[in-house]
Amino acid sequence: MTARIAEVLRCLGVSGQAFEQGSPAVEQLKQEARQMLTGLDAAIVPKTLCRVFPLWREEDSRTFSLLGAYGSPVLTLSGHLVTTMLQDCSHAALLLCTLGLPFDGLLRTQQARGMAKAALLDACGSVLVEEACDRAEDALRSKYPHLYLTDRFSPGYGDLPLTVQPDLLLALDAEKQAGVYLTDSCLMNPSKTVTAIVGLSEQPQGAKIRGCGFCSLRERCTFRKDGKRCDSL
Amino acid sequence: MENAVIRFDQGFLQLDGAMGTLLQQNGLKPGMHPEEMNLTAGEAVTAIHRTYIEAGSRIIYTNTFGANARKLAPAGLTPEEVIPAAVRLAKKAAEGTDALVALDIGPIGELLEPMGTLSFEDAYKLFSQMAKAGAAAGADLAVIETMTDLYEAKAALLAVKENTSLPVLVTMSFEATGRTFTGCTLASMARTLEGLGADAIGINCSLGPVQAAPFIRELAQHTALPIIAKPNAGLPDPETGAYDLTPAQYAQAMLACADAGATLLGGCCGTSPEYLRALRDALAGYSPAPRTAAKRSFVCSPTVPLAIDGVRVIGERINPTGKKLLKQALLEEDLDYVASLAVEQMDAGADLLDVNVGMPGVDEVTLLPKVVKKLQSVVPLPLQLDTTNPAALEAALRVCNGKAAVNSVNGSEESLRTVLPIVKKYGASVVGLCMDEKGLPATAEERIAIAKRIKAAANAIGIPDEDLWIDCLALTVSAQQEQARETLKALRTVRYELGLNTVLGVSNISFGLPNRPLITQTFMVQALASGLTLPIINPNQKELMDAIAAHRVLCCEDSQCAAYVARFAGDTGAPAAPKTDAALSLEESIYRGLQKEAADAASALLSSGETGMSLVENRLIPSLDKVGTAYESGKLFLPQLLGAAQAAQAVFDKIRTAMSEGGETPVEKGRLVIATVKGDIHDIGKNIVKTVLENYGYKVIDLGRDVPPEAIVQTVTEQNIRLVGLSALMTTTLPAMEETVRLLQALPQPPAIMVGGAVVTPDYAQKLGVHYAADARQAAGVTKAILG
Repeated sequence: MTARIAEVLRCLGVSGQAFEQGSPAVEQLKQEARQMLTGLDAAIVPKTLCRVFPLWREEDSRTFSLLGAYGSPVLTLSGHLVTTMLQDCSHAALLLCTLGLPFDGLLRTQQARGMAKAALLDACGSVLVEEACDRAEDALRSKYPHLYLTDRFSPGYGDLPLTVQPDLLLALDAEKQAGVYLTDSCLMNPSKTVTAIVGLSEQPQGAKIRGCGFCSLRERCTFRKDGKRCDSL
Repeated sequence: MENAVIRFDQGFLQLDGAMGTLLQQNGLKPGMHPEEMNLTAGEAVTAIHRTYIEAGSRIIYTNTFGANARKLAPAGLTPEEVIPAAVRLAKKAAEGTDALVALDIGPIGELLEPMGTLSFEDAYKLFSQMAKAGAAAGADLAVIETMTDLYEAKAALLAVKENTSLPVLVTMSFEATGRTFTGCTLASMARTLEGLGADAIGINCSLGPVQAAPFIRELAQHTALPIIAKPNAGLPDPETGAYDLTPAQYAQAMLACADAGATLLGGCCGTSPEYLRALRDALAGYSPAPRTAAKRSFVCSPTVPLAIDGVRVIGERINPTGKKLLKQALLEEDLDYVASLAVEQMDAGADLLDVNVGMPGVDEVTLLPKVVKKLQSVVPLPLQLDTTNPAALEAALRVCNGKAAVNSVNGSEESLRTVLPIVKKYGASVVGLCMDEKGLPATAEERIAIAKRIKAAANAIGIPDEDLWIDCLALTVSAQQEQARETLKALRTVRYELGLNTVLGVSNISFGLPNRPLITQTFMVQALASGLTLPIINPNQKELMDAIAAHRVLCCEDSQCAAYVARFAGDTGAPAAPKTDAALSLEESIYRGLQKEAADAASALLSSGETGMSLVENRLIPSLDKVGTAYESGKLFLPQLLGAAQAAQAVFDKIRTAMSEGGETPVEKGRLVIATVKGDIHDIGKNIVKTVLENYGYKVIDLGRDVPPEAIVQTVTEQNIRLVGLSALMTTTLPAMEETVRLLQALPQPPAIMVGGAVVTPDYAQKLGVHYAADARQAAGVTKAILG
């Protein structure tokens, strides 16, 4: 639980150092986060979709397609991130985790109650959906013990555009299987939904994409301003 | 339109199975609309229908599941092209058989408000278009299926019923949790759709028959309608999508659905004519299960089913009578304030909320539905719509999701004639007031006579006793002392002889007396003992809620006193020790985010003669600045910044009340417009900024989320706004931000603009020539620099 609480507080801008020092303000947040996470664990069941597709590499090695039934491509990917990540992979898994529409309902209620708790709930939701992704990745790892997983990467990250979302969600039948909808501007609804791609390879995979170089928030990141990184707090 | 009466309650009636997989086998390509096949491969479609009829299906669904204008548009098709063709193909297959052709209506494929942005009214239009086309083409009935949003199901059902005379079946898709993706419960679905006049209801898709059977059993407890079970061929393999039941296993499991009460049986994903043949054979010689749904009073929202089988508290706070701040909020359409009253009552233990917005200067017909939508977006409680305006009532019932209650009808000829048909149409419960054109009766006997008259009129129009709640009227005891007894006497007869639920606006009783809570509480306890089931009270009054908690123990509603013990755990019964420390200062209360203490401190300062303006300038804003500095230096964090803002809000409420009483001009430091740009539907960041700015005394005109550039420009022009705040969350919505900025900057007197949001950077803002705010605190700085 402590790790989860630390993660929630990190979303709210509490540095690792401040977390350890535990000023009254931080301690109050810790207590509220604990209470809220406990409530959410009872109220929200995250929904996960995961499908593994064979990967087809175009001749230029810069474009990869995930193949669906009858060998037709369901999703075509290109760009630096993809070529780095999927280079050695025979398969790729598409992953979707969502807290569902009821979480958004809770968030609306909480906003009417007051924005202070709403900001906390929002942060808890982000942590919950990331946890669901971690669990889905673990499940994938145990299902394919002989394969190595690449880093998990999401549309909107690095140079992988959000415009792959329509095909990605279609490939997972996300609307019907998970109640996840996409707006014309490629925003997912429910709000706490994450999609991701994970490559599967017979070769061991080093971490390739962690770090600020790939992060779209790097220019305004408050951690970087302080000379820190979010993954090493 | 002529339609032979179709009976759905005469034994089993077999529906068809999956269409999609068979279309794929007949040439449907990935990415192609299945409905296109009606135009390009008609013979294959007819052949599929025919195989289902041969497999025993008596109702076949047309190939129109996604034939709404929104879904068809990318293919360049319209419902008017696709639907008549589809109906024709199905009728051709049914020719010479007794099979009926059902116009199939599936979800629109876009989330409705408040979860998404598609309005209820637009959804209704899309469904109406389908219903009209289907009826004109000669469909025998309509089926609405695979719904996960009760609101969308309601829009579709109203569209069919109001535009055609077709019988209509409705099925929704439930997860293994017993709820749909939107959180809708089985009970809420059944109560709402039966009330709205569906001919049969049930479950399709999502589950296999094994998982569906217990849900069918639950549905059967909530409806007298025939029940539909059209589940998948078991559960799918997550990777291959293959379903796990063989035809024989499926048919066997369907018998469990039949035993649970379903009589309209068919298959959804993964089934084929083979499954339906197996089902037909299994049903031969099998009998439907006897149905015995107990009659119960019930209201619900989609997510909260509420049986009235004990004392249920109706919150009275959303009623402008005697409430200055609510009056002002309604006049300004500040619905956030109304929503906060709703949440407060829910948190205090209200079971349903009375909603009354009637006051001079508001148009109830437009305002009541708006308030209903707003409330349903933030509180899951069922609502009681309280209005004397029948047009407002209908407008509000129409957009109210779930089964609402109506307050009220009375015994007058006119009221019965105008209100009851609306109540019946929308399947609501209704409060019958024991008065009529002659006014308020003085005796219990007269009230009972009126109650009986209302009951007869309600029953005659098809409103059952369970949906009628009687209000025997509580009058002010200081004015008409003997009336309290008459009320209680009438209450006993209505509850125990007529067997109806009873409503009472309890608080009236104590008007004009000292120590009002004591009289109110005592009268309420007497009324509960006399058979009151639905007290209308202020749930924030602890004495009243305490008394109800005790009542629930004494009449065995609170099993093992669990709720009572939880409520009073740690309460020694001794009077609370007076607080020794002096009241917290306003500054300290705000810093610590303590709303009540901040409000108390403000009241004390105001009554000691400090003006509202001075309080804002010399205390409130310096306090907020102190919080802001602590936030910037990492001593306080976002929730605490917002907590301080909420405490400041409580202070503002006090100041506003004091100023409106003292005739001072309201505090307003300047106005700005904020919005998330077109395409952005997640708005918590914008709401955070709004909260903080409001508490610096700025008037924030919040245009909401997904706001078109034109709407922002229009507000700016009309209201001469000097500052606009825009938020964008995604790279895909930055172009909308740019477009909005471009239009605003092209105005003759362009306003200042500040931008923020996850993907917005200082460089980007500079490029656009606008101000940048990284967070709410910085937004306050920018606003101060511009508006002062």
